[in-house]
Amino acid sequence: MGRIALILVILGAVVIFAASVGTVSIPCRKVLAMIGSTLPGLGQRIPVEWTAAQETIVLRVRLPRVLLAMVVGGGLSVAGVLFQGTLRNPLADPYIIGVSSGASLGATLGLLYLIPRGLAGFSALPAFAFVGALGATAVVARLGSRRGRLEPTSLILAGVAIGAFLTAIVSLLMVLRIQNLQDVYLWLMGSLSGRGWKHFFTALPYVLLGTAAALWLARDLNVYLLGEEVAHSLGLDVQKLQRLVLLIGSLVAAACVAVSGVIGFVGLMVPHALRLIMGGEHNRLIVHSFWVGGLFLLLADTLARTAFSPMEIPVGIITAFVGGPFFIFLMKRGAGGNG
Amino acid sequence: MAEMRMEQVWFGYRTEPVLKDISFSLEPGRFYGIVGPNGAGKSTILKLLDRFLLPKKGAVYLDGQNLTAYNLRDLARKIALVPQSSPDLSFTVEEVVLLARTAYTFRWQQPSGEDLELAREAMALTEVDHLANRPVAELSGGERQRVALARVFAQDTEILLLDEPTTYLDLGHQIDTCRLLQAKAREGRTCVGVFHDLNLVANYCDYVFVLAKGELVAEGEPNAVFTSGLVEEVYRTSVHTLTHPQTGRPVIVP
Repeated sequence: MGRIALILVILGAVVIFAASVGTVSIPCRKVLAMIGSTLPGLGQRIPVEWTAAQETIVLRVRLPRVLLAMVVGGGLSVAGVLFQGTLRNPLADPYIIGVSSGASLGATLGLLYLIPRGLAGFSALPAFAFVGALGATAVVARLGSRRGRLEPTSLILAGVAIGAFLTAIVSLLMVLRIQNLQDVYLWLMGSLSGRGWKHFFTALPYVLLGTAAALWLARDLNVYLLGEEVAHSLGLDVQKLQRLVLLIGSLVAAACVAVSGVIGFVGLMVPHALRLIMGGEHNRLIVHSFWVGGLFLLLADTLARTAFSPMEIPVGIITAFVGGPFFIFLMKRGAGGNG
Repeated sequence: MAEMRMEQVWFGYRTEPVLKDISFSLEPGRFYGIVGPNGAGKSTILKLLDRFLLPKKGAVYLDGQNLTAYNLRDLARKIALVPQSSPDLSFTVEEVVLLARTAYTFRWQQPSGEDLELAREAMALTEVDHLANRPVAELSGGERQRVALARVFAQDTEILLLDEPTTYLDLGHQIDTCRLLQAKAREGRTCVGVFHDLNLVANYCDYVFVLAKGELVAEGEPNAVFTSGLVEEVYRTSVHTLTHPQTGRPVIVP
């Protein structure tokens, strides 16, 4: 319990710090007081020592973005654990079976054809991406199974093929409607810029429920690591587990992509890094991936919006820039074994 | 104690059948050896006995009931399998052996005293107890093979299926493994092993099945089955069959 408390304190401190820095710097003390003032019961007792503008910046701009970064980072990492666990492929990430390309196509269609014509509002963008992601995943799952049995290798190959196909369509659409190129391009790079409470509350239930479901399946995933035949002989319904895990992982990844675009590297690297540090046991791996992934994306996003302030850079650049070398360090230092 | 039966089983992955019309029965208290050239269908038989694969025609029975009538968890308390190869794992030896108790515990439930005792006993029997806290990925092929053996022993089932349990083992451990399986059979369990070393089978198994091209070409006690004629025909090579001076069992040499 002591360790969980420590983790929560660290996360809380980083959230407050992240909400305090930016183009306008606001002291951490004030941020803490503002957050406290929103709590029922406590709110009246805190004297208001800040301007309305500061309150808007912290409570309506930064805080939702900061919390969204944690949810998306945590969600992508847990999804990464699930995909790596079932597909037994070190390159498996949350996007490997079509989530990212499907979401990209959905979002691109929305941004280029529906939103400019007033057929849909900007707020409908996550819905387009989500539907696209799940649609592509369904097609890949269908192609990657033979006689009702999912086959990890076929699944990955189908994911790559469908991904290339959908990405080609996205590129074609972008060329055809070059006037809206920037919107699409920024979306494709993945960013948390301009996201608000609505995005946070859209992704939150998927990520929380998905993580809970992942923990429910943690022991089955441990058994599955022993190989399909052994897992079967230990009483595990291997086919059912594969389907369930891919469904949960896809839903979580699709929800994350829908609100943030395609943020790379987090879902691939965080689970691997933790596996190198603490081994492959899934209860531990899922819990720690969740908070480490959240923390990592939060720090990366904070850097993305402050490093070249007032200009923002896409967070995916930071995740890869920082994560790549760190991961190589771990790999060279760490022991073997990918299970 | 459990009895198993395979009745007129056919199996094929695509069009060409891998197993053709196989029927046999397994009695408790015996150590069975399955031999035959590469691609004869030996591993497939084990997978059918474990219900990992389902027959295209025919059926497999456990205690008179079709295997498909059991739920997997119940089956896991009756039948254990060691496949030919196992993936690299960052789990420790003890963690792997304890996973054998999955069918006896619920999620998040800590292993009971009995679970721990069975795991320790199994690790001691297969001489991997000193490796208990080492990650499996760091072990040699032979050590991993013995960890797999410890795992099926800890599963505490009446039927043990082993696909080439002596591959990667040095001579001493090959003999130890066969003796352990023999001892398990004497406790009333059924052990079924796929082997390439005919002399191990001749020495330790109570009964032998010979497979060739998906067909069961001979079965019986080692003395009756291992004749030069049969071995030469099945393996397409010339051999001599001698008699072990002490045990009276057959010895096959080139």
